[in-house]
Amino acid sequence: MGDSLKQKLLLTLSDAVVEMDEDKSVAAAQEYIENGFDAYEGIEQGLAHGMNRASRLYAEEQYFVPELLLCSDAMYAALDILKPCLKKAESAAKKRVVIGVVQGDTHDIGKNLVKIMLETAGFDIIDLGRDVAPADFVEKAKEIDAQLIALSTLMTTTMDEMKEVIDLLKKEKIRDQFKVLVGGGPVSGGYAKSIGADGYAPNAAEATKIAKELIAKGCRNRN
Amino acid sequence: MLTPKERLKLSLKRMPVDRAPCICPGGMMNMIVEEVMDLTGCPWPEAHSNPELLAGLSAGMYQCGGFENYGVPLCMTVEAEAMGARVGMGTKINEPKVTGYPITSVTEWRKLKPLDLAQGRVKVVLEAIKILKSKSSGVVPIIGNLVGPVSLAASLMEPTVYYKELCKNNRESHELMGFVTANLIRFGRAQLQAGADVLAIADPGGTGEILGPKMFREYAVPYLNQIIEAVQDLVSVGTIIHICGRLKSIYPELNLLRSDAVSFDSISSVKQVAEKIRNKAVMGNVSTYALERGTKERVKLLAQNCLHKGAAILAPACGIGPRTSLANIRAMVETAQEFGPFGHNL
Repeated sequence: MGDSLKQKLLLTLSDAVVEMDEDKSVAAAQEYIENGFDAYEGIEQGLAHGMNRASRLYAEEQYFVPELLLCSDAMYAALDILKPCLKKAESAAKKRVVIGVVQGDTHDIGKNLVKIMLETAGFDIIDLGRDVAPADFVEKAKEIDAQLIALSTLMTTTMDEMKEVIDLLKKEKIRDQFKVLVGGGPVSGGYAKSIGADGYAPNAAEATKIAKELIAKGCRNRN
Repeated sequence: MLTPKERLKLSLKRMPVDRAPCICPGGMMNMIVEEVMDLTGCPWPEAHSNPELLAGLSAGMYQCGGFENYGVPLCMTVEAEAMGARVGMGTKINEPKVTGYPITSVTEWRKLKPLDLAQGRVKVVLEAIKILKSKSSGVVPIIGNLVGPVSLAASLMEPTVYYKELCKNNRESHELMGFVTANLIRFGRAQLQAGADVLAIADPGGTGEILGPKMFREYAVPYLNQIIEAVQDLVSVGTIIHICGRLKSIYPELNLLRSDAVSFDSISSVKQVAEKIRNKAVMGNVSTYALERGTKERVKLLAQNCLHKGAAILAPACGIGPRTSLANIRAMVETAQEFGPFGHNL
């Protein structure tokens, strides 16, 4: 009985995200917690499941930026209810990411989409916003002992700011402590390689996959 | 021999020409580089707020053998600032940008200031156009620029909230769009009355990629067309609309736009756009990255490719980086000059 109710609520959480229905996702999250079901599974198999479906619709050009933002509102509203119920160990094991749009650029829609996808996938995100100086990325990454630094830009004229961040890490001899993921309109895999980034994400959905791979690799290096 | 202005007019009207013009409108499509600031003694950020410097800088690009037009303003913050946004004026190599929004929701649109033609940088732009008019002697086309309605609205409040409210708050979103568009029409008409020959509108925030075809049709097309129609009686040379991002999802919608030309970024191919958009001159789309980082030979190759594929007007794919070399811009202009007639077999 409990199991089928749980399955039903997980599906409702997922559907509510896809349907951009904040009231529905909040109600489902409350009922889910009241029944004592596991919060981590609620996030993973309900909310993240829904965001993955939404990002698939985005990739298929059935959803666009406004729809994806509304899906994320429904997701965040339910996440606020589920998060406090996570067991300690689960939240401590989180992967820490510093994200931002590089200096000189204020286009942050792409960065926000990546942030949403990473957050749904269980990453702990520090968002530095837009027009961020290289030193600010590096300082924040050191401060929170981040595993990953994610850099975004939409403009060809500010692409080289990504290199500045990487060069600063090298200069401070801490390049190996962090993985650097880059993305944004004009950025390509070739460009990422040429500036010494660890990874390139062509879109928000891919960013999660690549971030996970990079951090898995990074953890091996650290240990 | 055609003057640059005559040539641009024929190209915008899709008439045969001796060769394609090579232009860069200004506005969001930045046309200015550091070398020209130094040669003219009219640097950023000062030039954004002073009509003599603004005109001197804009005219400098043509005088130095660069793009075959004048254009103002040289940023995309004039309208937003006039309507209440806070703007940082940038540096010599960074354009001004919005740093503070006057409203937090589309429902607050009544709090926005109407754009005052007699004040601030709106007035600077109009005076600069008058100075350019006297410099051009009717030979060099002057392009007046507007930020597109969606982009302007998204400069007056947090864009992520704005995009969500387009879905959720249909009626008041349209009220905001109507207000923004009415102000753009006044500024556009004033630029043309001051002496601009062409009106260019760039709407980087209102792309098919961001909005999708349905919302592009609902929120971008009608307001862009309102502006184009409201200025027709004053336009002597033509109108241009620049849309960023991939175009493939919105070709039917682009055909609804009433501008003379459509300009687009380097992610879309000239060949495909020329095939799909039959009722407008195709303008584009030399990679700004190649212009800034590539060799002259590379720039020439890309420019030739655009012309081969059917660009009636050669232009950068987006605003150029201020550190782009004048030599590369000249290489682009030379390619247009050497390429030969366009449109004679149409």
